Amino acid sequence: MREARVVAALGRRALSVQFRRAQLLMPTFVLPLVLLAVIASGTSAGQSLRGFPDISSYLGFVVAGTVLQGTILVGLSTGISLASDIEFGFFDRLLTAPVHRTSLVIGRLIGTLVLALMQTTLFLVVAFLFGARYDGGVLGMAGAIVLASITAVGMGGISAAIALRTGSLSLLQSLFPFMFVMLFTAPAFFPQNLLTPLLHDVSVYNPLTYVVEGIRGLLGGDSSLGSPWAGFAAACGLTVATTGLATVALKERLRRL
Amino acid sequence: MTIAVEVEQLVREFKGGIRAVDELDLQVREGEIYGFLGPNGAGKTTVVRILTTLLRPTAGRASVAGHDVVHDGDAVRRAIGVALQEAAIDPLMTGRELLRMQGALHGLKSRDAAERAAELLERVGLTEAGDRRVGGYSGGMRRRLDLALALVHRPHVLFLDEPTTGLDPTSRMALWREVRALHEEGTTVFLTTQYLEEAEQLADRVGIIARGSLVAEGTPESLKARVGEPTVHVELADPESSEAARAALDGLGTVEPPDPRTPSRVALRTTAGKAAIPPVIRALDEHSVVVEFVEVETPTLDDVFAAVTGSHLEGATQLEPAETA
Repeated sequence: MREARVVAALGRRALSVQFRRAQLLMPTFVLPLVLLAVIASGTSAGQSLRGFPDISSYLGFVVAGTVLQGTILVGLSTGISLASDIEFGFFDRLLTAPVHRTSLVIGRLIGTLVLALMQTTLFLVVAFLFGARYDGGVLGMAGAIVLASITAVGMGGISAAIALRTGSLSLLQSLFPFMFVMLFTAPAFFPQNLLTPLLHDVSVYNPLTYVVEGIRGLLGGDSSLGSPWAGFAAACGLTVATTGLATVALKERLRRL
Repeated sequence: MTIAVEVEQLVREFKGGIRAVDELDLQVREGEIYGFLGPNGAGKTTVVRILTTLLRPTAGRASVAGHDVVHDGDAVRRAIGVALQEAAIDPLMTGRELLRMQGALHGLKSRDAAERAAELLERVGLTEAGDRRVGGYSGGMRRRLDLALALVHRPHVLFLDEPTTGLDPTSRMALWREVRALHEEGTTVFLTTQYLEEAEQLADRVGIIARGSLVAEGTPESLKARVGEPTVHVELADPESSEAARAALDGLGTVEPPDPRTPSRVALRTTAGKAAIPPVIRALDEHSVVVEFVEVETPTLDDVFAAVTGSHLEGATQLEPAETA
């Protein structure tokens, strides 16, 4: 019960700080929506290509990519906040408190989870207002939101591990381009079967491929667009692995003190 | 006598074999304010980081409130409050939010944490600023909040690492008052400082650290007494009355030999210090010696530092304010 209070307090703090830090809020909430507007208006002709799935709404198709982009950015911002805490000494304050060390990581990732829930809901609602249609209904939307949020925690785990390993804010900030590599080596805005052979082969090994297709399947209410189960399996696998990685990085950091 | 902090043969080496703490031994008694005095880079902060479980020692052992800092870190963290040198406070949070979070980290329920936050904000005079973001606080307000954060769980031992560095005199005095109040409540305070006056004003005992080792320890008075007696300087209106003045002061202490560079000045070494001023004035008056002024120069902790290390504390080479009559 005590640790639950600690995790809740750290989660609350992570969330509130995120909303007060414009340099994190803008990329996580605004940038994906801008990219969605550009892609939706500029590439909609792509749906007439042979092999493009039969969909009722192009915006409803590409918004899955926006959601995935959002999870990557929220995940990265987790590491940036953590590295900032380490660099400016706030993490030391947390380390002098009698709390379980793992709670320091879990608390931050809880903040990431809640932020991703809010962010994904916003993206889906905004896209809906601009014409996206979700044949999967409210249940499909809810499933997509949960799947995206789990993925965000997984991405947060990676960046938290890097932050704990290096303690370098500038390194975390320089990771933005790599996060886009992860986004574009998954079929974020285009069906996997229409990717170039090389990109197609790479995407098979990218766990985010299964996540974005799972989101698409849930939103479209059509498992031929992507398997939600494969998506949940990939997201959960990613989250378990990266949270474990972050915990190991924290222990290693404490050992090196 | 219960020991609150005990350090034995403590060593901490950093990369490249740099020894920041070198076989340090010290004990802090329960309920006392222990002033840990030394120049920048002497090893003060490294010692505090070890005692607060933020660093591991390379060798030796240390315990706080009876708990080993390496093997029983969690118990140490439950017993201590820490205000580190760089007030590590999230500028995006409000003072109240930080206090409530700190309460939660120490296991307080939400309601208790809120009550404690309000209580501490009042104690450090930040009630009105409590709901403002810390980024807008002055240096003094941040330090006071940092102190409040360290007090949330009513710690047994409080570590204050250079708590007044960079503060204006008013803020410094306010913090001193708070530290004294905590002392009266029975809290053990481990205070690092590079300010001589701070150590003198606050500490029951002072440990002087240089190059990672403790070079002197004791009450401020006992340390200064080791260096020498206070000196009463008398500035005469007429240098010609110097001999008469010396004769008048003979018997009140040791009259220093005349210094040809300052013929109008007579120096008297006496253990009485400031208390010697009235008899000095009376004696000179009885011998019709006219005096311009009298001042007392007492040995400072910097003199103690210089005596044991051969160098002065940075920025502390000037005399302490002298009593002038």
